[in-house]
Amino acid sequence: MIGLSHYLIVSAVLFSIGLIGVLRRRNLLMLFFATEVMLNAVNIAFAAISHFYGDLTGQMFAFFVIAIAASEVAVGLGILIVLYKKHGSLDLDNLASMRG
Amino acid sequence: MFEPIKVSLESLNLVTLAPMLAAVAGGLLILVIDLINGKLHKSFYVMLTMLILFIDLGATLGLTLNERGFFNVMLEDGVAIVSQLLIIVASMLFTPLALTSKRFHEYSYPEFFALFLFMVAGFQFMVASDNLILVFVGLETASLSLYTLIALHNRSNSYEAAVKYFTMGALAAGFFAMGSAVLYALTGTIELAQAAEVLASRIDNNALVLTVLGSSVLLMVAMAFKLSLFPFHTWAPDVYEGASAPLAGYMAIVPKIAAFAVSIRIFGMYIDLGVEWVREMILLLAVVTMTIANLMALVQEDVKRMLAYSSISHAGFIMAALALDTTEGAAGIFLYYALFMFTNLGAFAMLWISRHKVRRFNARFDHPYEKFAGLIHIMPMGAVIMALFMLSLAGVPPFSVFWGKIYIMQAAVNAGLVWLAIVMGLNSAISAYYYLKLIVYMFLKEPVKDVDTVYYNLSKPLMAVIGLAAVATVGAVFYVEPLISYVYFMISASGY
Repeated sequence: MIGLSHYLIVSAVLFSIGLIGVLRRRNLLMLFFATEVMLNAVNIAFAAISHFYGDLTGQMFAFFVIAIAASEVAVGLGILIVLYKKHGSLDLDNLASMRG
Repeated sequence: MFEPIKVSLESLNLVTLAPMLAAVAGGLLILVIDLINGKLHKSFYVMLTMLILFIDLGATLGLTLNERGFFNVMLEDGVAIVSQLLIIVASMLFTPLALTSKRFHEYSYPEFFALFLFMVAGFQFMVASDNLILVFVGLETASLSLYTLIALHNRSNSYEAAVKYFTMGALAAGFFAMGSAVLYALTGTIELAQAAEVLASRIDNNALVLTVLGSSVLLMVAMAFKLSLFPFHTWAPDVYEGASAPLAGYMAIVPKIAAFAVSIRIFGMYIDLGVEWVREMILLLAVVTMTIANLMALVQEDVKRMLAYSSISHAGFIMAALALDTTEGAAGIFLYYALFMFTNLGAFAMLWISRHKVRRFNARFDHPYEKFAGLIHIMPMGAVIMALFMLSLAGVPPFSVFWGKIYIMQAAVNAGLVWLAIVMGLNSAISAYYYLKLIVYMFLKEPVKDVDTVYYNLSKPLMAVIGLAAVATVGAVFYVEPLISYVYFMISASGY
């Protein structure tokens, strides 16, 4: 029988994968994917907890998270496109000019 | 099958929404005007934005204290009203800085002003609710607009700054959402007032200790990103360097006021529930942040980066007031920002008037210390005003920031944390070094180059803003008493 804890474990594992992706990826596009993985992990947790409590608030939150993830993609990819036009690369190691 | 849902207009209590509606409607109006006539000068949009902000300010002042509205989602308590007032006043100081004598890329787009108003509305939503959904949506509305505003500056530096801020902001959004999910799992609600009641009844259950800690850690990481606390501060100096000077000054104030208002609600709840660990964590973060940022500011070669580190250090200073969990501490946060706002925006505006199209002094920096060498010979008035802002930031009496510092230190002593007040005093002493370094450059050194165009970007509106900031900085002694009693009343009325 699959219960709440299974979903929460999946969610926690996905969240950690996303976090590791953000920390390890050097390509900005992949890095943005990793943040999406984190947000979707949250959605799983919300949907599962919402079902557990029989309360719709969690699913509502999940919908807002989806909407926000979509708008983040729109803004983020817009910035990436101008960055790519300027530099011709999306590799973090080549891009960083400000340090210290 | 389902009964149609009837909602009466009175029960929505739309008055609580009026300030944000003014800002959102204003932003849409600007977009529509641009569609009808695309050739209008930026000064028209600046004036329109100021007008909308005035309406917003009036709507905020007209709110009744501690009113809820819109299905109990909006909460206009003292914290919400005070932080909204601070956000709007800071925005009104920021907007005229667009009227420079030279043309800059971002201000030629009306969208800049529309996005700016959406951002203000986002911050207002964020502070005026204890529902985590609305806080999250407000946070992201404001942040996404802010990333775009940074990128609009159209330099390769500013794209990099926008990407860095975006990545950190997306990470913070993930942490905030996960923290809310854990809190939801614990309590079955995402309204902080109800969550506090449920948690209070379950807090003695030892099996839940780990989950309570987990939710507080996730939320604290999210807020630490937004407040640029150590070790999540690394993005801040780069973003400030890449953004235009007025926007950098704005970022040091408004997003942090909003994040502090949310932090008071969230972490105040944990501390009230007796989760002592949260308080200790906040104290540790605050002390480490102000010390590390101060030490980093000592070695900067660029005035803008120095001011960035100094604003991180000020944020650490204010974070310590959050851990006190007294009304005095919470009032200290807003008092400090009310005073810090004028000085900081004034200092960044001084950088803005001396901004050149090309970097004349350094391959990388716009405002290295050498640029200000001998400023007293070139523009005496500018040098004196800049020195005044620096002395105020260093906490020299009787200038404005001194009163904020002394109030928070006094709150720390009253809360029984004498060592904290001593650490704060030591940090103020360290910070005086790098502020005085700029004063030494301006007054005691000879100009390195012929700096005939240091007035480069100056115009009447910029002079007005800087003059206002200077008056507010010098005259703090005359208005600090009523300001303290107003903020204290508002905060205590909302029960913090």
